[in-house]
Amino acid sequence: MKEKIGVYVCHCGGNISDYVDVEKVRDVVAKEEGVILSKTTMFACADSSQKEIVNDIKENDLDAIVVASCSPKLHLSTFRNVAGRGGLNPYNYVQANIREQCSWAHTDKPKEATEKAIRIVRASVRRVRYSEALESFTISAANIALIIGAGVAGMRSAISLADMGTHVYLIEKNHFVGGRVAQMGELFSTDEKGEEIIDKLYDEIKKREKIKLFTGAELVSVSGSVGNFKAEITIRPRYIIPGCDMNKLKEAIAECKTEMPDEFNFGLTQKKAIYKAYDNCKPEMPAIEKDTFNPDQEFLEKYKDCIDLEQKTETLNVNTGTVIISTGFDPYEPEDGEYGYKKAENVITLQQLKRLIELSNGKLEYNNREIKNIVYIYCVGSRQKDGENKYCSRYCCTAAIHAALLCRKKFDSINGFHLYRDIRTYGKQELLYEEACKLGEIFFKFDDDDPPVVDTENGKASVKFRDILTNNEEFEIEPDLVVLVTGMIPRSDSKDIGSILKAPVGNDKFFNEVHPKLRPVETVIDGVHICGTCQAPKNITETVTSSLAAAAKANSLISRGEIELEPIIIRVDPEACEWCGKCAEICPYNCIIETDYNPEGSKGKTIAFVNKSVCKGCGICTPVCPTDAIDLIGYTNSEIESMIDGLITEV
Amino acid sequence: MTNNSIDYPKQEGTNQLQYDVLVIGGGIAGQEASLNLANNGFKVLLVEKDLSIGGKMIQLSKVFPTLDCAACIATPKISETARHPNITIMTYSEVEDIKRNGNGLKAKVIEKPRYVKADLCTGCPICEEKCPVVVEDEYNYGLAGRKAAFIPFDLASPRIAAIDIENCTLCGACERACPPNAIDFSMEKKEFDLSVKSVIIATGFELFPAEKKKEYGFGKFKNVIHSMQMDRLLAPTRPFNNVLRPSDGKMPDNIAYVLCTGSRDRSVGNPICSQICCMYSIKQAQLLLGALPMADVTIYYIDIRAFGKGFEEFYQQGKSMGVEFIKGKIAEIEEKGNGNLTLKYEDFENGGKTVEADHDLVVLSVGILPNNEVSGLFKSEPLALDIHQYVKQEDELLSPAKTSIEGVFVAGTASGPMDIPDSILSAGAASAEATAFIRSL
Amino acid sequence: MEQEKEFVPKILVFSSEKISDPGIDLAGQQHIHYSPSAYTVCVPCTGGIKPRWILRALKKGFDGVFVAADGTDCPFSPECPDITGKMVANAQEIIKNEGINPARLKMGAICSVCATPFANHMKNFSKQLSELGSIQSENYKD
Repeated sequence: MKEKIGVYVCHCGGNISDYVDVEKVRDVVAKEEGVILSKTTMFACADSSQKEIVNDIKENDLDAIVVASCSPKLHLSTFRNVAGRGGLNPYNYVQANIREQCSWAHTDKPKEATEKAIRIVRASVRRVRYSEALESFTISAANIALIIGAGVAGMRSAISLADMGTHVYLIEKNHFVGGRVAQMGELFSTDEKGEEIIDKLYDEIKKREKIKLFTGAELVSVSGSVGNFKAEITIRPRYIIPGCDMNKLKEAIAECKTEMPDEFNFGLTQKKAIYKAYDNCKPEMPAIEKDTFNPDQEFLEKYKDCIDLEQKTETLNVNTGTVIISTGFDPYEPEDGEYGYKKAENVITLQQLKRLIELSNGKLEYNNREIKNIVYIYCVGSRQKDGENKYCSRYCCTAAIHAALLCRKKFDSINGFHLYRDIRTYGKQELLYEEACKLGEIFFKFDDDDPPVVDTENGKASVKFRDILTNNEEFEIEPDLVVLVTGMIPRSDSKDIGSILKAPVGNDKFFNEVHPKLRPVETVIDGVHICGTCQAPKNITETVTSSLAAAAKANSLISRGEIELEPIIIRVDPEACEWCGKCAEICPYNCIIETDYNPEGSKGKTIAFVNKSVCKGCGICTPVCPTDAIDLIGYTNSEIESMIDGLITEV
Repeated sequence: MTNNSIDYPKQEGTNQLQYDVLVIGGGIAGQEASLNLANNGFKVLLVEKDLSIGGKMIQLSKVFPTLDCAACIATPKISETARHPNITIMTYSEVEDIKRNGNGLKAKVIEKPRYVKADLCTGCPICEEKCPVVVEDEYNYGLAGRKAAFIPFDLASPRIAAIDIENCTLCGACERACPPNAIDFSMEKKEFDLSVKSVIIATGFELFPAEKKKEYGFGKFKNVIHSMQMDRLLAPTRPFNNVLRPSDGKMPDNIAYVLCTGSRDRSVGNPICSQICCMYSIKQAQLLLGALPMADVTIYYIDIRAFGKGFEEFYQQGKSMGVEFIKGKIAEIEEKGNGNLTLKYEDFENGGKTVEADHDLVVLSVGILPNNEVSGLFKSEPLALDIHQYVKQEDELLSPAKTSIEGVFVAGTASGPMDIPDSILSAGAASAEATAFIRSL
Repeated sequence: MEQEKEFVPKILVFSSEKISDPGIDLAGQQHIHYSPSAYTVCVPCTGGIKPRWILRALKKGFDGVFVAADGTDCPFSPECPDITGKMVANAQEIIKNEGINPARLKMGAICSVCATPFANHMKNFSKQLSELGSIQSENYKD
């Protein structure tokens, strides 16, 4: 048991000391058994305080320390490090949370907060007395990454990882890569087309042997943990025979009678059951979605050299060191009738407008009408007062204004009327807004609580609204086209990926990073990263930036071929264990097996044995043992029960 | 007993330095990039021109939208950077003349003299107590004073004193008082020749100088302050115990924020949006309502740009807390006899008339400008800047960290306005590109 | 002479490191107030809480024990809600056999952003425990 404990009670610059009497805590705790040093500090985490602690440890020959400050989420490793630098084992240190779970939660009751802080610190002292010296150990890590989603984020991340020396499995659920960017037409930073960007990325991927791309590929399950994940992936066949005669195949496509709405053009056009996402899509080979295709025998016979509906779904099992989720977003689909959507004949979404611009030449046409004026209604599906999507979709103000400028550039004098709440062309994108105003686009601001109303009586949309900028004047416009500026929502199947990988989502349903400020691409699951729009709405530059950052983090985790693991695992008391198998049964990682135990001088028996490199330290096995033979290191009976005692004892 | 966190890279008697990567700037982007690279095994030299690393972030009170205490989340990064065996930090040092050198790059590094021996100083502040000279404190943006012999600020890393030689009267009081005799007025600047494989520019941004917007009276009217000064007043390491207004030390109870000061404004030469001011203003407004429960806070805006993750929710939270949002660009500010201020604007929500509003403290939400010292680092092979004078991102869509010079990458606000998480992501991107670049050599 | 002090129930909360503890931290960050007589012990997973700890807490003087369960967010096992539920049911049996009201052990799912729900749980549980009375009023062997 530790007998020379140092205690540091932090002011946290007032965050604690404004509510908790830190001096009192220091003085009361100084009297605890085993404590030989008790101090307050302004910022325990500051460099100079850390140095002070290191010196104190050395000069006073401390054998354990307690730091009472903020949540261990922030500084657990900081102070473990400090203990180490002082010559202590990093696990002879306990963090007492007297900020998030004391001062901050009880700003209304400083007296009670002080008493609670005393109890918490005292309990931590009692716990640290029982702490054991532990050594980390290393496991091998596969220098391989699995990237889910081959949109711009996934592809760019793959390229970066390959260039940093990591092997990559890049899987894409669709048969074609490119995700949403391929659908975007001309882009607002550089006027390159989305397709061109995807082409560039695809070429770079093809150049790199380290990247293996699988399309039609879906993640089914994942087991293991960081350094050694095992992923099961199913690969849907294209049903096209590789190397077949391309002209014959073109004939087959022309002859194919099955048509359906083309999701690449957001339903504006039809596609055949044998399809390519777009003309220049990659990979180039067309594909068939079998459940949409019902050809007659004659057709199949005629094209039997090109089409083979007997191709089988394959299963791919990969070993990977780390995972990056880059599954992207879905555009918000307005409800039927929302601003006249699907009720009036001339209401479309921003995404549909971008495709329309791409598909039109010379004139912008929709439903056989030439478009000469457009009303844009902003914030559809975002910043909802009553709906679930409270967030801003970040990219749409810029995208809508860019689309309007594109319309003016590509087609003859199209007038745009923009009904907005706030124009969020942040940063350098402000210049687009400036240009739009100069060219004659007209902007109206409506109140958050008084949105435009779209009348659809005679099939055509008529938009009524009040404009704050002209003293709430009421306007009515009957445009050729109403464009709903729709934002981003998380992809519908990201929930499935999330549950397979155990990656949590936030209140906005996008994947949640560990810490929004400090760790924007990591999740709580070690080795699982997120990037791009599946984490939050963002534009292409921001998506690529985040995908590179995820590549950087993933690479640094596994590139050395080994990872250091925390020694917080279970320990079986061989004397107490009378093998019953309950622990092995309940273990989520199957890391417990039966083994022989034959100590000298006693009858042999079988007991439980734990595989140290697989045990994750969850402790789920510990309550089920009938003889209480299992302890979780760091959370032993002595440690927890001494904490309980310390918390309940009167001050 | 020393307080030295700087490992000087000296091989004795030489001024030739060799590292894998040079990172210029010790703010959050520079730190993040350095850590990523160091974790990958590269040897990093981090050069910071000020006396301490930490940049702008360490000066802040809380950060949006989480309201984490800025110091609390900055210090672990700063500590980690200072401790990392693969990172060497040189503070109070500047880089000059970066140019190509075969496959790599070379540069000169000038280490300015602190007149305090780093390996002896314990950060004790006795020199500060003894020094008779008081000047404006840059860390507190002139709200408070500091001595000519001083520790840069509470959370400085390294926590080593320095002598501001320009204002020092050479009285020697500090030298006599210093317990470990760390003060040495004979110190001179040191020059080093540096060879590296790659460079990351993380030089951050400048604040828009509020006095340039003459209509707002900054510098003339005592109770017109800028947002960084307000952040200092709200920070845990603040100069006073509360938010006080400069003219008479009273606690303000009717505070106005003027958004877009120096942004979206061609008349002062900056047409773009600074991206962070709406959010930091809403943040400060929420903190003010907490610090001064009787106060009213009004934000005058053109558009509220709460676009990032959690931002819109933060904005709505501010509204529900009682922050008043008024659409109207402030045309002019006038001072009244008692130090109060009158703001003139067009009241859009109520008929578009010109209205005058009285407030007792005005905070100018100043925008950000490019750090115009960056191009001076590259003389022989000029670094391309974009039309706004930020470091140009040569391949903005697909390689946002690349600059016009091969092997030189950019991280953080050196390339344009961005907030803290975006700076961290940008640093991640720069380190990924630098790693790939070095491994390809 | 003993003063009649208003009975403020003492609650021991078991939280999980990656899920419910961040939720409890968030309540603090948002300055959401709850009873300062609620103390938290953090473990890796709530499925790993030993009933003997719960029993000890009650016998030593806690009026109630609250398990802030991971729910479906648990990073270790998708069965965690089940496992934790079984552990709590088992613990309630043990408590009952010791002569203590099993209603003093409660479980609630607290996700990593569940700040307000946590504070509400504390409020409600405190109220329930006030009605049950102090743990001293129960007849149990020490």
